[in-house]
Amino acid sequence: MLKVRVIPTLLWKQFGLVKGIGFDSWRRVGPVLPAIKVYNQREVDELVLVDIVAHRSDDELDFESIDEFGQDCFVPLTVGGGITRIEQVQRLLRAGADKVSVNTAAYSRPELVSDIAKRHGAQCVVASIDVRKNPNGGGWQCFSRAGQHPTGREVREWAREIEGRGAGEILITSIERDGTLQGYDLALIEAVVNAVKIPVIASGGAGNYQHMIDAVKNAGASAVAAASIFHFTEQTPAGAKAAMQAAGIPVRQNFIGSVKN
Amino acid sequence: MRVGVIDYGVGNLGSVMRALEELRVAPILVTRAIDMHATDGLILPGVGNFADCARLLGEGGWSQALQEEVQGRHKPLLGVCVGMQLLASCSMEGADANAPEGTPGLGFIPGRVEHLGALGCTLRVPHVGWNEVSNCATSGGLFDGIPDGTDFYFVHSYAFMPEDRADVLATTDYGVPVTAAVRRGRICGTQFHPEKSSRAGFRLLRNFIEGPAC
Amino acid sequence: MLAYCKHCVMPDTKPDLHVDDEGVCNACRSYEKRKEVNWDARHKELLQLLEKYRRRDGSNWDCIVPVSGGKDSTYQVVRMLQLGLNPLCVTSTTCDLTPLGRKNIENLKHLGVDYVEMSPNPLIRAKLNRIGLTQVGDISWPEHVGIFTIPVRAAVQFNVRLLLWGENSQDEYGGPATAAKNNVLNRRWLEEFGGLLGMRVSDLVGMEGIEAKHLIPYTYPSDEELARVGVTGLFLGHYIPWDGLSNALIAQANGFHTYDKVVEGSMVNYENLDNHQTGIHDYFKFLKFGFGRATDLACLHIRRGRLTRQDGMEAVKRLDGKFPREYLGKSLEDILRPLDMTVDEFIRLCDKFTNKKIFKRDASGALIKDPDGNLTKINYDNA
Repeated sequence: MLKVRVIPTLLWKQFGLVKGIGFDSWRRVGPVLPAIKVYNQREVDELVLVDIVAHRSDDELDFESIDEFGQDCFVPLTVGGGITRIEQVQRLLRAGADKVSVNTAAYSRPELVSDIAKRHGAQCVVASIDVRKNPNGGGWQCFSRAGQHPTGREVREWAREIEGRGAGEILITSIERDGTLQGYDLALIEAVVNAVKIPVIASGGAGNYQHMIDAVKNAGASAVAAASIFHFTEQTPAGAKAAMQAAGIPVRQNFIGSVKN
Repeated sequence: MRVGVIDYGVGNLGSVMRALEELRVAPILVTRAIDMHATDGLILPGVGNFADCARLLGEGGWSQALQEEVQGRHKPLLGVCVGMQLLASCSMEGADANAPEGTPGLGFIPGRVEHLGALGCTLRVPHVGWNEVSNCATSGGLFDGIPDGTDFYFVHSYAFMPEDRADVLATTDYGVPVTAAVRRGRICGTQFHPEKSSRAGFRLLRNFIEGPAC
Repeated sequence: MLAYCKHCVMPDTKPDLHVDDEGVCNACRSYEKRKEVNWDARHKELLQLLEKYRRRDGSNWDCIVPVSGGKDSTYQVVRMLQLGLNPLCVTSTTCDLTPLGRKNIENLKHLGVDYVEMSPNPLIRAKLNRIGLTQVGDISWPEHVGIFTIPVRAAVQFNVRLLLWGENSQDEYGGPATAAKNNVLNRRWLEEFGGLLGMRVSDLVGMEGIEAKHLIPYTYPSDEELARVGVTGLFLGHYIPWDGLSNALIAQANGFHTYDKVVEGSMVNYENLDNHQTGIHDYFKFLKFGFGRATDLACLHIRRGRLTRQDGMEAVKRLDGKFPREYLGKSLEDILRPLDMTVDEFIRLCDKFTNKKIFKRDASGALIKDPDGNLTKINYDNA
């Protein structure tokens, strides 16, 4: 049976990784490459690398760095940040990305998602959605530009639309919870899981293993993404999977045989 | 084995090439069909859309050349993901009013590629993540040294159903049985990505490179 | 382009550094705030805390003081003795101890303290140095783990509750505000600020033949063990204003020896004297972030009004980030030998971990190196 995935997320800003709280990401953590190497060595299920400032300018994406990161990354890699054209996707796939994540550009041009899905397959496109709770009434509002710009879309409605456009998965992030280590917004995850038929990856707020178990068992996430918990506490992706297994959630076992004959 | 990785304009070449380099195999990037002569074995990668991949194979003269190398000269071939699906007779991906029979593949292993939903799968599609692979012959061959039930990384919405059950080398379960690997003679394929499946995947790649094919 | 603090010379690529709207970094701001601190009150607080923990009956040591024999730990021991404490000094032996380092350790012992030195298996250590360098670009990774772990293990082992660290690097070097207020070093601090770069001790098993049994000295005590003994750590630098130069003077007044010339890559001769690998550690900092030891020192002294920013900048341009051909008289080849690494492999690693965006490159994108292998940053100051 398909296993639940634990996915470390790397937030990349210019020179290195950053950590944010509520998407206020000023705090530099260190260079990207060592983090990629460490997670690769740990054989994590997948890795997500997001360039959180690429959307700000029309400059081309930093393919050079992504090429370098791809050299040391043998785990499935999703790359996102500032993708606006399909030509960039081909370039990213060549550099070693297995999937691409689209966020801001999709709001103004949802056809981008369909184009990528048609050319490269739905499984190649992850729709990344960042939301904040609606201050009046229920629901969550979607924000683009790394949480800066209200789009006027409600999350369930947007999730359905983007699914219809061909997205293969949804990466749903609670902006308020992000970096707080207080737990995922379970109501949000559940709402999105129920709104679509494609896999949903929970993101934003994981602080301990129980949070991840809850996101899967109670809210129906197919995978859990997290950053701060792995970078700043003694907890690890392997520990998360052990805890999930103990809670009855199917997780991947690492291969213990030999590679060489 | 001098391994050639076919660059027909599609595919996550970077990952496959890097994986082979990690295994201390110097892969040859095959950019022209005639360059296949200088190889002892071939890997056909593939990511994305079957119809696009098939079209590029045709346009680049690859289909013809592969017929000669693989079916004519019996050169070992490993198709990965869409590369495996391309071995089929046809795929329903891209089927529409203009092409109700779907898109033709290389036809090396008779069978069709269908959407997981059309095969009865009611779980979330695409099938993405790690899943157990079973029913493989573990001594010799592609899965040598890889225990039954080892997880590999899948990311696909369509699956290959070979007409002849004997061509199915391994399966996985995603609500319905899904073909995980195929083999016919020296032609094999994996739906999962061995180059992304960590050490199990590397072991499989090494088995292909070193062993009697498949 | 690299942005620099307007007051000191630190670039904003440094982890945990934050440059405010006026262009001043949080480390400089933190230092400014020192004037507002009531040091008398802090001193009293320290004495009260020490009273709480010291053993009047002499049945056990009052505290554990992690020491290296350097200027800061020598100063710390001098202070401890002045305060009438009976500390157990604990050293985690450094990766490649220099003769001067050994001499200063002996000097520290002769100030009159009980002393324990834990020397982790040097063969394993060399493997860990190699792993640190190849995996995260930090040869001193095992050293950092050792420094923060071995004294804590000693506290548990010897049943001593109080650990007295020196300075909280977050205070001086700038760190998230909440951490600066926190004057206790615990597991969380270690993970966040201990320079672990995301790698865990548990990651090491299986790499280069490392097994769990090799990692005992690097294994942090469990929460249960810490709770059983009641281990608490305090930073002396929170209670006494910390200054490396004045520490050095006091240390020298108490027998501490300095190097006979300025240390490579630095402009002083009184610190980082005990480990030949420090040159490599500092160099990789430069490659990754664009600042080395000279920048660190310039910033420290600018903040304290001993150097103008201009003079600091000039010193940095001249000294910072030079390829470490030798350190404290030992050649790079000799330093790398226990790690089973050639200079060529070392250079390839340097290039791999270099943040290419911050150094000058030629038209093809290759890094420009001078005949000695040194790189040049794209900018050494704000426009």
